[in-house]
Amino acid sequence: MKAFTYIIKVTKLERNPVYKREREKMSDNLAPVSQQVGRPVAPTIGQTGKKGNKPQYSPGEKSFWKKVKNQKALIFMSLPFVIWLIIFRYVPVFGWTMAFQDYKPQTPFFEQEWVGFKHFRDLFNEQTFYRALENTLGMGILGLIFGTLAAILFALLLNEMRFNKFKKFTQTVSYLPHFVSWVIVANIVITMLSISGPVNNLLMSIGIIDNPINFMARPNMFWGVVTAAEVWKSTGWNAIIYFAAMAGIDPQLYEAAKVDGASRWRQMWHITLPSIRPVIIVLLILNIGNLINIGFEKQMLLGNNIVSERALVIDLYALNYGIGMFRYSFGTAIGIFKSVISVVLILIANTFARKIGEGRVF
Amino acid sequence: MKKRLLVLWLLLVAGLLVFTACGSDDGTVDSDNGGDSDTTEGQTEKPDEPVTLTFYSEDGSEKTFDDPVAQKITEATGVILEMDYPVGGSDETIPLMIGSGDYPDLIFAKGDLGMLIDAGGVIKLDDLIEERGDNLKAMYGDQLDRLRNSIDDPSIYQVGTYGVHDQPLETSGTFQIQLDVLRELGYPEITTLEEFEDALTQYVEKYPEINGEKTLPLSLLGSDWRWLITVGNPAGFAGGFPDDGQWSVDTNTGETVYKFLEPEYREYFKWLNGMNAKGLLDPESFTHTYDTYISKLSSGRVLSVADQDWNITDARYALIDAGMEERTFAPLPVTLGEEYVHQGLKDYGFAGGWGIAISSTCEYPELAFDFLDWMASEEAQILINWGIEGEHYEIVDGERVLFEEVRNSLNTDADYSKESGVGYYIYPFPNWGTAAVDSNGQSITVNTREQVIENQLDVEKEVLDEYGMELWIDWFPQQDELEQSNHGAAYNFSIPAGSDIQVIQQRADDITETRITQAVLADPSEFDDLWDAMLVELEEAGVDKLNEEMTGLTQDILKLWSGEVE
Repeated sequence: MKAFTYIIKVTKLERNPVYKREREKMSDNLAPVSQQVGRPVAPTIGQTGKKGNKPQYSPGEKSFWKKVKNQKALIFMSLPFVIWLIIFRYVPVFGWTMAFQDYKPQTPFFEQEWVGFKHFRDLFNEQTFYRALENTLGMGILGLIFGTLAAILFALLLNEMRFNKFKKFTQTVSYLPHFVSWVIVANIVITMLSISGPVNNLLMSIGIIDNPINFMARPNMFWGVVTAAEVWKSTGWNAIIYFAAMAGIDPQLYEAAKVDGASRWRQMWHITLPSIRPVIIVLLILNIGNLINIGFEKQMLLGNNIVSERALVIDLYALNYGIGMFRYSFGTAIGIFKSVISVVLILIANTFARKIGEGRVF
Repeated sequence: MKKRLLVLWLLLVAGLLVFTACGSDDGTVDSDNGGDSDTTEGQTEKPDEPVTLTFYSEDGSEKTFDDPVAQKITEATGVILEMDYPVGGSDETIPLMIGSGDYPDLIFAKGDLGMLIDAGGVIKLDDLIEERGDNLKAMYGDQLDRLRNSIDDPSIYQVGTYGVHDQPLETSGTFQIQLDVLRELGYPEITTLEEFEDALTQYVEKYPEINGEKTLPLSLLGSDWRWLITVGNPAGFAGGFPDDGQWSVDTNTGETVYKFLEPEYREYFKWLNGMNAKGLLDPESFTHTYDTYISKLSSGRVLSVADQDWNITDARYALIDAGMEERTFAPLPVTLGEEYVHQGLKDYGFAGGWGIAISSTCEYPELAFDFLDWMASEEAQILINWGIEGEHYEIVDGERVLFEEVRNSLNTDADYSKESGVGYYIYPFPNWGTAAVDSNGQSITVNTREQVIENQLDVEKEVLDEYGMELWIDWFPQQDELEQSNHGAAYNFSIPAGSDIQVIQQRADDITETRITQAVLADPSEFDDLWDAMLVELEEAGVDKLNEEMTGLTQDILKLWSGEVE
């Protein structure tokens, strides 16, 4: 049953290991924590309220229709979303049949020619495809690691800031790049990194390098450039959710720690970070599932012919060798392959999260 | 859990059924549409109310059909065009159009026409041309065969795009050098890469900076698709090849080879590699964006380019605007060496291949055809080339003369043609070439030899005078010395969609664009190894098969165009 709920367990403070540990540490002469404990530490995704409070009844105890009657308001509310899900998420899966045909547009379904796994064989025989896969995973993993680290770090630092107005201002400014289109970001990056651009001037003026580096012409630097641009663009935005999680930490934990003489570093390490751990893990799992869906705008806009072997990603490959050449079937085969990889990745990540204890997605 | 799964599956199956049902519905609707095309018989007069036809042009731009010339066209044909264009030079528009089955009435698909034919998206025009295409028949004459699709399906699906009876008065796509370089160096003869390099070296030694910025002897734009224009194609021109896209074609036997396999290309890129090593090539040639490239050219500090005129018009206008006319460019007939003949003025014949097609979902196919046919008439050709009498040109001593300000605007204002409509509707519609004359013996296009001379900048005239030439083309090997192309130009072939040619060519193009760029930027000692490695890679990508299939295609075209197939 659990596996199909897609709903994150409500993490109550009572079940929070941080809380337990901290409480054990607390000295006895402190007033015991009273009623606010019901507050969830982490914002929960997709929580309907229904699941958390659902009384335990065994199947068959009440008739199906009675249950429906009891919950008709809820069912009614969720119906539009279920319909949306079916129309836009399940019905299109029918298009997967294209991958097993030599699909010709404007030909009725039953007149299409079926070719079995031909397109998959073509795909796996294509050298370029493996290069695209390598690049996609490489840039995906780099983006995931550095993106997450930067966002957590930023949120931590911001959280420690005392001057409230400045804090708010910084936060607002920091997520502005998220709203800037990649087209513009790519142009900014290319200009900044050009031979006569500010970055080279800076490096030369402080004497780190003697001759300007043509960053955009170094294939080995391309992943780094993309990751850096990505981190610059999305750190502020991604930090919001961690920041929100931090705002939900019970201040009494900090007070207790202070009484025990913990420094700010200690507080960060022993209270803030463990408290947002469930959020970090949930987001990581979700992002791992999307590892292969890194899109292609960044790579297409930042790339050029020198770095193209490092810039080719699966989506771009599907565009150039699939739809662009009128090979719908081939493009669909790539799409299916991507979906399979995504599901496998998310299952692995989720199993791992279950092993280490908490915060899994399903 | 089981129950819920079951419900999900049921829903999924129900969804699929609905989907398939919708799908087959679409099919029947389409075939219905095809049926009611012959509502009118024989000659349709223009409709009482102007009819709006949608027109997709792969080379189009944002534009409404309301300028003075457009209004005249509507008056004569009863047609208003609603023009659509691809956003950001997209390759996917036609495939998506086919996927949705939603076609505009008129389609200019360039090389993607083959896909439309396969999908049944466009109609055959043979009968229409036979019955009511008098103007088109007069225009194309014996070149009508060149409009035919393929040897297996020798029907005509499209008309237009290239001028019939073209005689170039200007070249494009060759090496171009700043007029000031020629002037400063005392008007040297520059016909080989060696002389070209010398000229640049001398000038840059004299003037290491222009307007306070570093002088860039040669700048290319190799960061996007324009790699083909400024890196790939000039190599061929220097090697004495005509422009056949990515191919090198023997026009008599039809033998076709992927062009980068030819030794001349290796030689050219070796030279370019040397240019880079000597610091004569803009180090950002392969990384800067188009905007940066144009702004560099506009600043006047780039001494030479290897580019098509249409790619750098903005820079030219900007230079003229800024009073730096001496920094505009002159075309050069540069080749690898004396033994190579520059093909800049080659006569490709009417190139066929690309053109405007009428879609199968068009509600007024006859009207659309009459519109295209009228565009081929003498009246229409004069209108689209010269504009409206009294507004854009006048008749002096029985000859058409453009008003002074119109001609100036055409030459210096990038937007004038778009605003006034003068010259805007020539490409890609059926049009006469520069050598064609009307019934009074006057040139149909505005580009007569006299006009081109008239259009030259003062500095340009001065430099030409020193060389003793009237036009830049006088510098090039003349057209009658060059062999005429029997196959048109290979880039105009419509290549079957999803075919081996297409897939292997894409692979080969990806390889060459990356590897050649790397080889050019590498240390000269590594160039040969890198080039050999690229040849191996091309071999592995199946380039032999590509050559073989492409040769077949060229030979089919030669056969088709010779008029043997009916």
